Amino acid sequence: MTRRIISMLSLLALVALPAAAGKTYSHQEYFEHYEGTSTCLTCHEDEAETFFHSQHYQWTGETPAIVNADGKLLGKKNTINDFCTNPVPAWIGITKNSRGEVLSQGCSKCHAGLGKMPSAEMSREQLENIDCLICHASGYNRTLVENEDGGLEWKPILWKNQEGLDSVSKRITMPKRTSCLRCHSGSGGGPNYKRGDIEYALADTDREFDVHMGTDGGDMACMDCHAGTSHRMRGRGVDLMGSDSPDRLRCGDGACHETAPHAKELLNRHAVRVDCTVCHIPAFAKEDATDMIRDWSTPDYIEEKDKHLATITMGANVEPEIAWYNGTVWAQLPGVPVRTDDEGAIAMVVPQGDRNDANAKLHAFKVHRGMMPVADESHWLLPINVEEFFADGNMDGAVREAAHVVYGIEDFEYGWMPVKRYMGIFHEVQPADNALRCLDCHGPDGRLDWANLGYEADPLAAALTPSH
Amino acid sequence: MKKSSLIVAAVLIGVFVLGLANVATAAKKKGPKGVDLYKEYCKPCHEADSDNGEYTPMTMIQDQWERFFDKEFVDSHSAVLDPNHDNKPVTEAISEEDLEKIKAFAIDHAADSEQPMTCG
Ligand code: HEC
Ligand code: HEC
Ligand code: HEC
Ligand code: HEC
Ligand code: HEC
Ligand code: HEC
Ligand code: HEC
Repeated sequence: MTRRIISMLSLLALVALPAAAGKTYSHQEYFEHYEGTSTCLTCHEDEAETFFHSQHYQWTGETPAIVNADGKLLGKKNTINDFCTNPVPAWIGITKNSRGEVLSQGCSKCHAGLGKMPSAEMSREQLENIDCLICHASGYNRTLVENEDGGLEWKPILWKNQEGLDSVSKRITMPKRTSCLRCHSGSGGGPNYKRGDIEYALADTDREFDVHMGTDGGDMACMDCHAGTSHRMRGRGVDLMGSDSPDRLRCGDGACHETAPHAKELLNRHAVRVDCTVCHIPAFAKEDATDMIRDWSTPDYIEEKDKHLATITMGANVEPEIAWYNGTVWAQLPGVPVRTDDEGAIAMVVPQGDRNDANAKLHAFKVHRGMMPVADESHWLLPINVEEFFADGNMDGAVREAAHVVYGIEDFEYGWMPVKRYMGIFHEVQPADNALRCLDCHGPDGRLDWANLGYEADPLAAALTPSH
Repeated sequence: MKKSSLIVAAVLIGVFVLGLANVATAAKKKGPKGVDLYKEYCKPCHEADSDNGEYTPMTMIQDQWERFFDKEFVDSHSAVLDPNHDNKPVTEAISEEDLEKIKAFAIDHAADSEQPMTCG
């Protein structure tokens, strides 16, 4: 009997061997060979349809939080930002430098599709274009491949190694931090360039760095906060245009933390007008520096990479800027004249709300600045085919090419204008001991610009001054 | 074996061992990394369009590299002579220590290692 159990056990061990690190996955039995998304569709057509309609696939979505959107569906696909501007002109392609090294592969690199542009109409072809594995298979990586007909397609890097591909494509799980970070930590052109508070370090870190995701802290997955249902994410943040769900994702609305979570009454009183993140995220870009200023008007040639770039000013351990925010923003949309703020900068994304707005709280922001091209007559914000520019350094050509694709315009003059975008800081919450102290806000060099925020003076000073 | 040829052999071996030792210390000083060793000992025979097959760490998954180094490497490479290393068999041209480093490099960068993506 014992011998039989032992031999059965060793048999089991043998069977389990092919799985990575001895782990077993339910999908090892669900199919034999992975032949692309169609393999998943045989059982998951419904999930593919819900994913098709998501912001992650469409790159456009509903805009309840954009005050000037007029009900339009917006997203990365049909707006222009101050990082890589707009993805359509450089959707897919292999851009090489003069030495023949690959500089970039198109903006579809961060689309959860296999290379086709998402369309509004659902079809079999579109469903098969969804890349399920990029979120659901750990250890999956992909590369851009030129097919025999010259067309380009994102394929698993193991596409010529069926044994390896079968192993990886069966490692199906709910998304892990690494699955989400592979896109979100590298956006904007480099590690942590764009967000500042979504660094690859979050894949494996401690609670000192992030109490929620640290492996010795909450060890939470991104999904634990962000998963909705039917492939709709919760939590648009501040500066994304479309959103999967109309509700805000908040720390202290009772779902995770109470609105008054502290034993100290004074701190709870603060939490009425000061968002939790302001005190609990003292700094961002703690491991990788983040892009604070991107000046496209001053090209920079990086000799070692033989690559042309914007002039980028990086920041590390950045203190967030503080402003009022009520959950809605005004956004600079394409095809309408640009609007400038009192600094003369185009207000790309402006959080709405002020001290008198009961729905507004003070929030923490990364304020991204830059220089962008603007057409002389129409005063429209212009896109840039950044990938073309990476290779040849011809900015004028890159602006004209992209403007042609996005607006269909040809003969125009343009100039350069400063831009400013408010981006919310929500990640990298530190242990309570590191929370801001009274003097970080109320001291002489405090973070808050009281006058600009609508206060006659520092309210602590006012509370301490005897009234007459 | 005649005495004289024994001496010749001993001298040769001595030179060979010394030579190896030199390479090893020189290498240690520069601290050759797995990636550099891979470039020196594997890449020349396995570049794109090579008749021997194109192999980079990303060609295979971690389990496959493990299996290759533990079970297949000796069989498939002991009869292959390496023109970049005095035509010695590949298995003899590489020291055990360096082979371990190459293995670690291949596994760390295998097709199923977790890597962030950037957009250019
Ligand atoms: C033969 C049918 C079949 C095929 C083919 C199949 N699945 Fe599944 N899948 C299931 C079933 C049944 C479940 C629910 C039970 C389970 O998790 O094993 C499931 C669950 C899932 C889950 C949820 C896992 C979790 O941990 O809760 C995901 C994600 C998933 N599948 C993705 C995929 C992807 C991606 C593919 C293509 C590579 C695929 N499936 C192929 C049948 C299938
Ligand atoms: C951008 C990442 C992402 C991509 C790409 C993605 N999923 Fe998911 N998937 C999720 C998340 C997050 C959840 C959990 C919450 C939800 O359903 O929104 C999920 C849940 C699931 C579930 C479990 C559903 C349930 O109700 O338990 C299945 C099955 C699934 N996905 C299959 C697929 C298939 C098949 C594809 C490709 C057609 C796909 N997913 C593409 C992120 C993704
Ligand atoms: C402890 C909860 C929590 C975890 C864990 C978490 N987030 Fe968030 N995230 C938030 C909140 C809160 C917002 C702001 C949502 C809102 O304003 O509606 C946000 C916003 C975002 C946004 C919108 C853009 C922005 O930053 O403003 C993205 C993208 C995002 N998170 C990605 C991630 C990824 C990727 C992970 C995992 C590495 C992750 N999040 C983990 C709470 C979390
Ligand atoms: C293939 C790349 C990719 C992967 C993988 C990915 N994302 Fe995203 N995500 C994006 C892009 C691009 C956007 C912005 C789309 C837009 O603005 O139109 C986005 C938007 C979001 C948003 C804002 C959604 C909204 O309603 O506005 C959240 C939250 C988010 N992602 C979280 C996650 C989480 C959590 C995961 C892992 C389950 C994940 N993402 C995986 C590329 C990715
Ligand atoms: C004005 C700054 C401030 C704001 C706003 C704030 N906190 Fe705190 N928080 C602190 C400080 C300081 C501590 C350290 C505890 C102490 O000194 O009593 C703390 C402690 C905590 C703790 C640890 C438990 C404890 O009581 O020691 C949690 C959890 C917490 N805060 C959550 C939140 C949440 C959720 C919000 C938003 C609803 C929030 N905080 C808003 C300053 C703030
Ligand atoms: C994140 C910045 C910040 C920190 C840290 C902070 N405060 Fe304040 N404090 C404010 C703001 C903003 C107001 C005004 C709130 C309002 O408009 O109701 C305020 C108001 C006050 C007031 C007057 C209103 C009241 O509730 O009594 C006092 C007193 C005060 N703070 C004391 C403190 C003390 C003591 C600490 C340290 C324990 C502290 N603050 C930490 C930002 C801060
Ligand atoms: C002198 C040339 C040469 C060198 C150096 C060389 N290989 Fe090979 N390799 C070959 C040849 C020849 C084959 C067999 C090709 C065939 O069977 O078609 C081969 C086959 C392989 C295979 C296919 C699997 C197998 O066992 O047949 C792998 C993987 C491989 N080599 C990896 C490596 C690695 C890793 C290194 C460095 C440690 C290396 N090779 C060094 C010539 C070389």
